[in-house]
Amino acid sequence: MKRLLGVALGILTAIGGFVDIGDLVANAVVGSRFGLSLVWVVAVGVLGICLFANMSGRVAAVSNRATFEVIRERLGARAGLANLGASFFINLMTVIAEIGGICLALQLASSVSYLLWVPVATAAVWLVIWRVRFSIMENVAGLLGLSLIVFAVALFLLQPDWGSLAGQALAPHVPESETPATYWFYAVALFGAAMTPYEVFFFSSGAVEEGWTAKDLVLSRINVFVGFPLGGFLSVAIAGTAAVVLLPAGIEVSSLSEVVLPVVAGGGKIALAFALVGIVAATFGAALETTLSSGYTLAQFFGWSWGKFRRPAQAARFHLAMIICLLAGPSLLATGVDPILLTEYSVVFSAIALPLTYLPILIVANDQQYMGKHVNPRAVNILATIYLVIILAASLSAIPLMIMTGAGS
Amino acid sequence: MTRQRLPAPDTNGRSLDAQLHLLDRQIVDADGVPVTTVDDLELDSPVPGTPIEQGTPAPRIQALLTGPALVTRIFGGKPPASRLIRIPWSDVAGLGTIISLGVRANSLDASWVERWIRDHLIGKIPGGRHDPQ
Repeated sequence: MKRLLGVALGILTAIGGFVDIGDLVANAVVGSRFGLSLVWVVAVGVLGICLFANMSGRVAAVSNRATFEVIRERLGARAGLANLGASFFINLMTVIAEIGGICLALQLASSVSYLLWVPVATAAVWLVIWRVRFSIMENVAGLLGLSLIVFAVALFLLQPDWGSLAGQALAPHVPESETPATYWFYAVALFGAAMTPYEVFFFSSGAVEEGWTAKDLVLSRINVFVGFPLGGFLSVAIAGTAAVVLLPAGIEVSSLSEVVLPVVAGGGKIALAFALVGIVAATFGAALETTLSSGYTLAQFFGWSWGKFRRPAQAARFHLAMIICLLAGPSLLATGVDPILLTEYSVVFSAIALPLTYLPILIVANDQQYMGKHVNPRAVNILATIYLVIILAASLSAIPLMIMTGAGS
Repeated sequence: MTRQRLPAPDTNGRSLDAQLHLLDRQIVDADGVPVTTVDDLELDSPVPGTPIEQGTPAPRIQALLTGPALVTRIFGGKPPASRLIRIPWSDVAGLGTIISLGVRANSLDASWVERWIRDHLIGKIPGGRHDPQ
């Protein structure tokens, strides 16, 4: 019974923890401009993150090595450092975007300017990282994030024409009002949002934090392969509500109030309350994950002592690095940079950095010295290699597409 | 003049590739606490450029290097010997996917930055020395 509860809890937190500000914004923007014609990208991205998150979790559980240690060992110091620079920069951008997301949601709820919420939210993020145990942090944020299901409920309440929605999703084509270049630019952005590298840094480091062994592999596989696709379903629901309400009305998504507008149209004030709780929880959870990931990547590259299972004093450089990130990042928000715009850029930059993260995981998952009998099965290797080709294509085309389309405008 | 062949390397025991099995590996102390990574190796090889005499024994690893060695390994150059942070090879207790030492991290020069930050910054913030709850 207890074990079953553990499985259920793991799945629920995986669902609630899947969506972050990048998914929220990218899906709403795409839904409002392309309808459901890019849903296939979410499906491809979710399968990819399942594949590689599961692989990095397996490497961490069997060999006790988190992803960035593996990256440095396999890429060497030089390429590893370049990778660290890119990953850390994107991660910091995501931290800022997530904290901005918390503040924008609080602004919607309270009518107090989001800038005033920045110090409050940042202090709260730091306090949780400083004092709260890893498992509690994960579960609370994940469970509250489940409130985002209200997007799916709202979609039903809106009583859309299911036939035409399914048509958009199953027979995708570029809408007449958009060019193929913008279509593919947003495809790359959605892919980047679904496969953000911090998710694997966090997932593998979390496996070490929670002391997983080879025995926990089944549980982790269920969490990933059930929880993540259901999380992806929430992403599609967000795009769906935008496609039903915002697309016909020609409303462009430039702030969070447009993201939640369809929820209000479908379910009224109560639905809005759920959506706001869900957004705050999801972005808060993701702010914790990205801040920790900044610490994880630095500590694992340089070989510092790290982890929330240690007292802060026993992982001093790890905690200091996160404090510096939390001081530096959000002060950028105070300059008045638009958090939504920042989010859109961060998902595209994520897409660029993807190959650097996923190739070393694949190599080590095949190394018997690390993995013993738990090396990748053949089928997984074939699928992962196909994914590396897709990832590489997305990564290489991201910048040209960004320039051609003026970042999708 | 007969050309003397180099002696075959002693193949008893495990053979390791320094690049693959030593460089950039994680180093942990006797309690399993991460200390640093292997940023470079110090060998007792002769100065580069000098001719090597016949019968010279193969170079041996003297120490694992860390700290400024990472910068010079990536960008080239060589710091003064006094600037290198060494972990003597005699402290190494085991080689696996990680390198384990037989000594505690607190006794090593390689962990002075960690100790300094702990004692002067992180340890002074309230709650810094307690387990998370």
